[in-house]
Amino acid sequence: MTIGKTIIYVVDDDTSVCEALKLLLESHGFKVRTFTRAEDFLSYNHSKAASCLILDLSLPLMNGLDLQETMKAQGLFIPIIFVSGHGDIPQSVKAMKAGATDFLPKPFTQKDLLNAIDRALVKNKNQIKRKSEIKKILQRIKSLSPRELEVFRLVAKGMLSKQIAYKRGVSLQTIKVHRGRVMNKMQAKTVTELIRFAQKAGITPPTV
Amino acid sequence: MANNKQSKLKIKVPAISKKVKKPVSKNSALKAERRNLLRRASDKDKTPTHLGKVLLQQSQDLKLKNRQIKKWVERNDLAEEQVYILTKAMESAVDGIFLIDAQKQDYPIVYTNKSFQKMTGYTKNEILGKNYFLLYGVDSDPLIINKIKRAMRKGKSFIGEVLNFNKAGKKCWNSLRLSPVHDLMGEVSHYVGIKTDITLMRQRELKIEEQRHELLHVTRVGKLAEFVSSLAHEISQPLTAILAYAQAAQRMLKSKEPKLKEALECIINDDKRAAAVIQRLRSLLKKGVSEMKPLDINTLINDTVMLIATDAAVRHDVLKLELKNELPLICGDQIQLQQVILNLISNSFDALDNGQQIREIIINTSVKDNMIIVEVRDTGCGIPVKNLPKLFTRFFTSKQDGLGMGLSISRSIVESHGGKLNVKNNPDGGAIFYFSLPIKQKAEV
Repeated sequence: MTIGKTIIYVVDDDTSVCEALKLLLESHGFKVRTFTRAEDFLSYNHSKAASCLILDLSLPLMNGLDLQETMKAQGLFIPIIFVSGHGDIPQSVKAMKAGATDFLPKPFTQKDLLNAIDRALVKNKNQIKRKSEIKKILQRIKSLSPRELEVFRLVAKGMLSKQIAYKRGVSLQTIKVHRGRVMNKMQAKTVTELIRFAQKAGITPPTV
Repeated sequence: MANNKQSKLKIKVPAISKKVKKPVSKNSALKAERRNLLRRASDKDKTPTHLGKVLLQQSQDLKLKNRQIKKWVERNDLAEEQVYILTKAMESAVDGIFLIDAQKQDYPIVYTNKSFQKMTGYTKNEILGKNYFLLYGVDSDPLIINKIKRAMRKGKSFIGEVLNFNKAGKKCWNSLRLSPVHDLMGEVSHYVGIKTDITLMRQRELKIEEQRHELLHVTRVGKLAEFVSSLAHEISQPLTAILAYAQAAQRMLKSKEPKLKEALECIINDDKRAAAVIQRLRSLLKKGVSEMKPLDINTLINDTVMLIATDAAVRHDVLKLELKNELPLICGDQIQLQQVILNLISNSFDALDNGQQIREIIINTSVKDNMIIVEVRDTGCGIPVKNLPKLFTRFFTSKQDGLGMGLSISRSIVESHGGKLNVKNNPDGGAIFYFSLPIKQKAEV
């Protein structure tokens, strides 16, 4: 992932701040998109590339914290660096608790800003990686037959093949065949890996 | 004995025998004779002689006198009982009661009840005969003492509140009512005084006044802090832009134009200097740590309304409370929340200043979704629809001498308590400001 492809979003109601940050960040080779209203940022068609958001806390109508909440609700996972002209500690605590990666009081130096962007991008990279991994796992799960899915769930719950066979009233051999197919389709080398997949995909074992 | 009786009868027999016409048996004739004689004898006794008349008169006089004396004694007993009850009543009164001899130059006290002695701390013997004003203590206000003396000299009554010092030198506020007692000639013979201890009431009034001042002070400081913080925000915006522009320009120049690069460096440094000034100013006016305590919102509203009740009365505005009983507690800073309620009420006052017919402010509390809702509703002019979105922004005001800080501070206070402050217009006229506060969880300390 190169800097050139990375997009930095800036949401600040002060156009001068937007322009200056754009100029500064572009001089460092980033792609920059600026918005003066939170609503405009939400309706923008976001790129799938690595990105982060520099967000002003106090905005007209929808403020920074509201936007953070809405993004979470809409599944828009872009790391947020909050900036604020108010030395507002309670607000910043709230923002950090809600998952912001950094909080910079205005005015901030380019050094502080670049450091914050670095941290945010690392977080974003991990997020993207995890997201694609989950996507792959979900695709594999989709390829399982209903019987295989059931076996997958029970194995993920930590049950032995014998227990599953007894519970389902089928032969141990049948379960072993299903289990082998599950391992194959899920591309899991070990049972531990299979269980990890189940956790990542948020598969909850059926309650007994 | 029998002989004697018979002989007496014998003597009178010849005279009486003439009158006895019918023949009677000896025995019964004698009996009748005797009856007649006896009747005559008593008749003879009744005929008044001069001496008898005098005696009769005197005995009648004596009887009358005796009756009168009895009546007097009875009356005296009654009067004594009345005096006794009156004295007893005076002694039992909670108010201090005292009598001053108005005929004497130095107004000596001639009577005090127990309460008076208790209030002043002096015993009966220490008080009686002493000049009334000596009991006031040396630190008493001479103006008020002169006022009382003047009233007494003119024979008028005095009603007022006086600061007294008791024997131990302890301050106490008294409500004093002095009225003249006139004798039969219409002269002022005495003054009767009633003294009520109003120290507690005074203290309460003073406390309310103090709270008002404190709140006003906090509000003023809060406004200043908010003003400075807003100013800092406004300045920090261009500073951010200047810094970013300068640093971008520096990068663009790379190694060309070293002099220009130096100039940009100066801009960056000065920008940082300005930022540091703002930072210092901000930390100087940092809001004090708020004291979060479990509070009953109804009590808080009652206390706040008490602070502003006089203002409402002066303005002829009616403050009505519709408080829901037994609301759960909230967790908050009393002074800050009072500030919010006071701000909303005083806004309503202003809204009622446009010649409204019904001048009412109604404060209502209720519970909804685990939040306590406080509503301040007025019958004022309402809020123009175009102003609604800007109402809570700093520096926005529709008042001529407004700073545009009140509602923005109020909103930030409510938000720091985990609630929301909002406004809507009442379809029946006037505005409704309402805010929510989360109910205190049991585990919360």
